[in-house]
Amino acid sequence: MLKKIRARLNGILEESAVLRHYFWKYRRWVGVGFAALLMVDALEVVPPLLMMAAVDLALGKPVVISHTHWSPSFSGLAWTYIGVSFLQAIGRYGWRMYLIRAGVLAGRDMRGGFARHLFGLGASFFDRTPIGALMSLSTNDVEAVRNMIGAGFLTMADSLIYFMTVPVAMWMLSPKLTLIAFIPLPFLPWIIRRNEREIHQRFEKVQECFGDLSAMTQESLNGVRVLKAFSKEEVQSRRFKALGERYVRLNLKLAVVQSAFGPTLDFAMSLGMVFLLIVGGRMVISQHGSGGTEAITLGVFVAFQRYIQKMVWPMAAFGVSLGIYERAVSSSERIKKIENERTDVPEAAQTELPRGALPGGPWKAEGRIEFRNLSFRFPRSEREVLRGISLSIEPGERVAFVGTIGSGKSALLSLLPRLYLVSDGMLWIDGVDVNRWPLKELRRQVGYVGQEVFLFSESVMENIAYGLQERSLVPAQRECAVQRASELVHVHGEVSGFVSAYATRVGERGVSVSGGQKQRLTVARAIVQEPPILVLDDALSAVDVQTEARLLEGLRSRPGRNTELIAAHRISTVRDADRIVVLDHGQIVQTGAHQKLISEKDGIYWRFCQQQRFEEELVEYERGLGEGVLV
Amino acid sequence: MSAQAGLEGYFDVDIEEQRKDESHFETRAFLPLIGMIARHRAPLFSGFLMVIVATVATLLEPWLFGRAIDEAMVPGDWPKLQRFALVYFSVVGLRVFSTIGQSYLFELLGQRVTHELRSDLFSRLLRLPTSVYDKTPAGRLLTRVTNDVASLAEMFSAGFVSILSNALLVIGILVCLVVMDRKVGLIAASVFPGLMLLGAYFSSKLRVAYREARSKLSALNAFLAENLLGMKVVQLFNREELHLSRFNRINNWYADAQIGTIRIFALFQPAITIFAGLSAALVIVFGGAATRNGSMKLGVLVTFFSLVLTLFQPVRELADKWNVFLSGMASAERIFSVLSWPVETEAASAEVKPIAGLKGEIVFEDVWFAYEGEHWILRGLSVAIPAGSRIGVVGHTGAGKTTLISLLMRFYEPQRGRILIDGKDIRDYDKHALRASIGIIQQDVFLFSGSLQENVTLWGPPDDRKGDNKNVHEALALVDFDKGELQERGTNLSMGERQVLAFSRALAADPAIWILDEATANMDSQTEGRLGESLARAAHGQTTLLIAHRLATVRSADRILVLHKGTLVEQGDHAQLMAANGLYARLYRFQEAAL
Repeated sequence: MLKKIRARLNGILEESAVLRHYFWKYRRWVGVGFAALLMVDALEVVPPLLMMAAVDLALGKPVVISHTHWSPSFSGLAWTYIGVSFLQAIGRYGWRMYLIRAGVLAGRDMRGGFARHLFGLGASFFDRTPIGALMSLSTNDVEAVRNMIGAGFLTMADSLIYFMTVPVAMWMLSPKLTLIAFIPLPFLPWIIRRNEREIHQRFEKVQECFGDLSAMTQESLNGVRVLKAFSKEEVQSRRFKALGERYVRLNLKLAVVQSAFGPTLDFAMSLGMVFLLIVGGRMVISQHGSGGTEAITLGVFVAFQRYIQKMVWPMAAFGVSLGIYERAVSSSERIKKIENERTDVPEAAQTELPRGALPGGPWKAEGRIEFRNLSFRFPRSEREVLRGISLSIEPGERVAFVGTIGSGKSALLSLLPRLYLVSDGMLWIDGVDVNRWPLKELRRQVGYVGQEVFLFSESVMENIAYGLQERSLVPAQRECAVQRASELVHVHGEVSGFVSAYATRVGERGVSVSGGQKQRLTVARAIVQEPPILVLDDALSAVDVQTEARLLEGLRSRPGRNTELIAAHRISTVRDADRIVVLDHGQIVQTGAHQKLISEKDGIYWRFCQQQRFEEELVEYERGLGEGVLV
Repeated sequence: MSAQAGLEGYFDVDIEEQRKDESHFETRAFLPLIGMIARHRAPLFSGFLMVIVATVATLLEPWLFGRAIDEAMVPGDWPKLQRFALVYFSVVGLRVFSTIGQSYLFELLGQRVTHELRSDLFSRLLRLPTSVYDKTPAGRLLTRVTNDVASLAEMFSAGFVSILSNALLVIGILVCLVVMDRKVGLIAASVFPGLMLLGAYFSSKLRVAYREARSKLSALNAFLAENLLGMKVVQLFNREELHLSRFNRINNWYADAQIGTIRIFALFQPAITIFAGLSAALVIVFGGAATRNGSMKLGVLVTFFSLVLTLFQPVRELADKWNVFLSGMASAERIFSVLSWPVETEAASAEVKPIAGLKGEIVFEDVWFAYEGEHWILRGLSVAIPAGSRIGVVGHTGAGKTTLISLLMRFYEPQRGRILIDGKDIRDYDKHALRASIGIIQQDVFLFSGSLQENVTLWGPPDDRKGDNKNVHEALALVDFDKGELQERGTNLSMGERQVLAFSRALAADPAIWILDEATANMDSQTEGRLGESLARAAHGQTTLLIAHRLATVRSADRILVLHKGTLVEQGDHAQLMAANGLYARLYRFQEAAL
């Protein structure tokens, strides 16, 4: 038994670690709030006594409180009452402002800490974790924890303090009546807990059904064309209605326990009142006669009426706060699980920089890149997406990568800025293993543009100047750099044509821009910070061929340029590269300049060119069609 | 707003929603809602009755206590006290019972009304014309069905009952005070007008504070969601710290907004305490004096103490719940506005039958169509498709292939020209029957969560395996893969399996006209062969349109239509088109060369 208790206590200590951390952090606030609470609850003793005095005074009886005789006046009582109310008002203000605010601040800190942790996790974590789940952690679960730190702790402390003060006063008035009044109370926390659980379970079911309703609505809205094509609108509406009826039933089941909850507590309290009426009434009557039972005045009777009425809430609150506590614990465990995740591309224990380079300084890498028998698989995957890649890229070279979808181009390029982890000794930049580079420094040197374009919901200016924050530039310099970059990628003209030019907001919540424009903006974003190594992973696929050719030509003279790695699906993109690397099933199958590769008849690259030739012919023909030459 | 510099983008997410959330509500939504409520007489009236019983019982309890003091305790009448206790006990029982009853009944009412609204809303959403779906994000419509209906339900279960019963209680207490002792009652109630003003003031303060907190929270969520989505970019540009500090800025704003609501409660609650203290003090002074000089009975004084102190909780509740009521009304307004959008006509019954005896001759007569303005997708397309022929339709993305099908199925109406099936304008057919007569197989099959069978028959009558419906039987036989429950995104089905499913779905519908929209793009040759046989058997002698990007699929068609920018540029069979050496021939050569 003792062992069990000790185990449970240890369990509580362990599960409440997060909560205790924040209590300690905000101990001053919690302390002040607690003191205010203490004052309010201690003063709760007084008003019933004042009413008792008023009643006895009205009856012309002596006012006796713990064997001391008082001779108050009505106005004295009234002023005391007002004074006590005033003090209580101050206390109530205090505990709300201090205790609940501490909860809000703790919630804020938790959210901030959670976000900080997320910002430090590697790409592979985000590949496998749905964003919705993380969002729900940062809102619902954080909210559950902060609710415990604020309201939960408050109600818990409130009821504990209340039961340490008020019963003392009651006992002093009449021990017997106190016992009588307490008869229904011990069952309350038990009833409340059971009810809490029942409500919680039924509520979960309601929530689940609500989720089903939302899912069905979403699914139907997404598939509305299918439903229409098969004339199944009516069928689906009936299914929805049936599910809705189930939802109603579950809600009503919840309503049964929920609507009974408050009144049940109320009933328990009222039972105390009935006992008071009988037992206390008997005691009042016996004060006139000679009855053997303990006698009380009417004033005491009235005071007890008030005390009992006030007792239910703290009792109920205690049960409720236990529920809040349970939820906070399970939420903090869910959060902890994510906080235990570690990034898969951590900083090396001992970082290293190429010779002569100063960390954080304005130096540029030479851009010598070496793949040494590199093989790679994505985390938690069995399949090798790259095998035996050996390749050496000299500073100043432009190397293009060609291959079908799944040939490993993207995986290869994503290793350069260390988005994913590659084993030691396989990838070297300027003679330093990529894993030994300080991560920030590496990413400063490698400008990487991936396939998925992502713009933030900010202005074009902010989006392009994205990488400039480390260089403290005055606004004019910034604008100048942004404009230069956007001229280089041939998007300046189009941006100037937007309604608010560079101030136009883009991204998810901004105006929609075409795929080609988006791609060029992301390239501009990468080159504005003038990285010596530029990696374009199929980053120009939606840009038309002519613009692309001019853009690529322009990039050769971009400031700070050294090495370029470009993956593409179009011959036009790669034709002018210094070297072309053809990948197939994760291996290098051909390397060389365009002229050399095209001479290897029936090679992958040759076939690739063939196809493009037909495509060009087709496009040419279609252009003729479009202009009405052939119609 | 200048404090939000650089982060404005996250703050205007729900401008539309917020505007409608303003304090006043329009009768536009109020009247139809009243109408819907009035239809549920039983829960409505019994709920009302319960509210009244509960209120009366709540008032009776302190009164009985007072009477017990005056008539039993003061005279020392023990039997009478026992009777009082019994009556008191039954009043308590009655109150508890009717309190449970009122909240249950109003919950019932609310659930029924919102269920009706939700079902109605859902079925109307499904009947919205396709063009609405092009313009309105599905997310916004979803919000109407889920969140808005939920907030309306909350209005019933929390707002409505609370407002009603608390208002009644307040009135009841005031009346009792004045009736029991006019002078002292009026004095005690004198604090009430001030209290009401206070309540109204805090209620409006709260509304603003709630809205502030909500807008900060949605900005916080918008910011975080966007950053999680673009985390790679953030990390590649070493911007983690900067973004974190922005996050913390919004996070602080949100905490401030939350503290703002706390402050209001923190002021409101003590204000009520002081008011309560004042009126209790007034009762002590005036009631006490009146009792001592005998003009007021002692029991009345005690009753006054109870009543005066119960006056304040309802006022607090009213101030808080009024906002629930308002936001419920704002939701109601949004729901009714969607309900007023024009929709397609309802099908006569759930089981829509295809048009009987359709031969499947299709004629496009000078059809012009644009989704928007003058941006023509089809420009005077004219083509006649004889009944029972296999027709290939090819062309680039944007050539108008899919639009052709959408028009045929009446998802859109052409601006000019007309489409005839069996010589009759398609507008003269019943829209639902017309759609049911056309079996469409798409490349990207949309899966509904549920069983395979449900996905094939689309919740049609289950196959009884006796083969009453030959097509359903055959369709179900085709999907022989055992996958259990399907999910919306269908990750547990291979591409090939998905296409088999798409085909079975069309087969089960037993159409007169078949449309294969890029349907065999991802099929392995074995499946393709098997489906080909099935299709040949099922669609034998029926009009079949094959829309294809991959020309090999349409090689064997009786006739191939080559579309380019909304016009028909070439037609003929494969050999003829190759010989003509035009667009088709070039497309073909290009695809042959593909890797």
